Amino acid sequence: MKKMKWIGIMGCVAAALLGGCSKSKPVLHVYNWADYIKPELVEQFEAQEQCRVVIDTFDSNESMYAKLKAGATGYDVIFPSSYMAKIMNDQDMLLPINPAALPNLKNLDPAYLDLAMDRAMAYSVPYMLSITGIGYLTDRLPDFEASWTMFNDPAVKGACTLLNDMRETIGAGLKARGYSLNSTSEAELAEARDQVIEWKRNIAKFENEQYKNGLASEEFILVHGYSGDILQVQEENENIDFAIPREGTSITFDDMVIPRDARNVALAHKFINYLHDPEVAAENTEYISYLCPNKASYAYLSEETRENPILFPPEEVVANLEVVADLGEENAKYTKVWDQIKAAE
Amino acid sequence: MKRSRIPLYTTCLVLLFFYLPIAVLVINSFNASKFGGGWGGFSLRWYRELIDQREIWHALRNTLVIAFSATALSVVLGTSAAFALHRFTGRLQRLHYTLIYTPLVVPDILMGMSLLLFFVALSAQLSLLTIFLAHVTFCISYVAMVVLARLQDFDFSIVEAAQDLGANWWTAAWRVLLPMLAPGIGAGALLAFTLSIDDFVISFFVAGPGSTTLPIRIYSMIKHGSPPLINALSVLLLVITFVLVWFSQKLTEEKIK
Repeated sequence: MKKMKWIGIMGCVAAALLGGCSKSKPVLHVYNWADYIKPELVEQFEAQEQCRVVIDTFDSNESMYAKLKAGATGYDVIFPSSYMAKIMNDQDMLLPINPAALPNLKNLDPAYLDLAMDRAMAYSVPYMLSITGIGYLTDRLPDFEASWTMFNDPAVKGACTLLNDMRETIGAGLKARGYSLNSTSEAELAEARDQVIEWKRNIAKFENEQYKNGLASEEFILVHGYSGDILQVQEENENIDFAIPREGTSITFDDMVIPRDARNVALAHKFINYLHDPEVAAENTEYISYLCPNKASYAYLSEETRENPILFPPEEVVANLEVVADLGEENAKYTKVWDQIKAAE
Repeated sequence: MKRSRIPLYTTCLVLLFFYLPIAVLVINSFNASKFGGGWGGFSLRWYRELIDQREIWHALRNTLVIAFSATALSVVLGTSAAFALHRFTGRLQRLHYTLIYTPLVVPDILMGMSLLLFFVALSAQLSLLTIFLAHVTFCISYVAMVVLARLQDFDFSIVEAAQDLGANWWTAAWRVLLPMLAPGIGAGALLAFTLSIDDFVISFFVAGPGSTTLPIRIYSMIKHGSPPLINALSVLLLVITFVLVWFSQKLTEEKIK
């Protein structure tokens, strides 16, 4: 009899917990990457708006998209990367942004907004940005130059990594040869391919995650990676520095969007507006080590952050940055080149 | 005759292979360095930070609620299914067997996607309830298979003897059949519990707002966030598991005495 009782108790507990999620306060459902917002700021917003914020997390743009496309609903604000925001908008999955409800949009940095895919902020608002570049150990590479040619250097043979990302790595090859990283010219792509294959002979591997640990432990001395990641590793090992190649590189935005079936559209707008409040944006930038492109917030950053060339690269460097665009049909050309790179000896 | 030492070495190697990663994880949870590349000194920093992570605790709560409730229901349904499969034969039971067996071989991603499409077609709100239903769906199969194996070498004459001695069918099932099947049911329940607690793919698709489970949270943290917090959390879970196992062993020992 004991067992039956237990099952009964567990059932009741489960029912109570499953059903106990409704409270009278309005609830904002946020779908975001893990640790991509300072928790205290969320609490502050909850107190300010007398609401509850529930954050769920996803691990890749693609899986988030697959899930929503299949019909999952219930989220009010989502944080996709900008290429995914564009696809979602093309698929009519997003609500237009109402600028009247977002007075803080005036704070956005025009230098970065110009690079964004959705310049008019019709369906998305930039949240954070990250620049792809080169992380390296300063003491091991005294002759470091901020250039993609470093991947040819015999000094780093077998101790460097390139990203295992088709568009980033072919993009680096294109930029190294002086072309746009969204090029669709077969000839330019062939040159980029040869460039990447040349690098491939010099690198340890193509790597997306472990390069952080590898750099921290000095197993790798040169890595192709994202600025936010390298900044975090830098806190561990003072020998690490990050450089933006002079030939140019890619910049990625993570955006905030409101899905078409959002239940709490007004509160979603308030949340987006809140995150672009200058003081809030500054706190968030300090916390997650990515840059919120909010010009008014820069004044509230600590001096150390403001003088950080990773977060605030010089203007001529910014001018060379490009966003990886969605190429639609032309994407097949990249896939083909990537396969050739992967197959090359 | 000298006994071969190969079995000893093999056992040691296998145990090392099993437990070395766990040891590394435990050690790294006390490592002050965020990326675990080198030893940054002993620190309880990750444990302190873990306490403030309300989203992780929320995810852990979700996971445990689902694991316990899905195990409870799938044990009942799975055991009944195994019993039916064993007791009755016929074309319908063969179909039943195939249907129970299929979830074991269907890829998770297919199952997750089809369950999601199904819930959407019913216009059900995705929540803990949908994850619970999805987990019961695949846990039933495992429980049924384990219990069925136990039933296959079960001597039904014991039940008949009980009935001859005056027990009605219910009493016989409750006092004789169930206790004898208990190890199988227990094993099935443990299997269901483990599968439910670490399922990622299916849960990801059927999770709704507010019902992020621990595996979903962990995957996202690997991409974006601090893995050491996961180490610290894993160590806490390990400690809890060991205490529970130790406790249950104590209990069974006393019963035997």
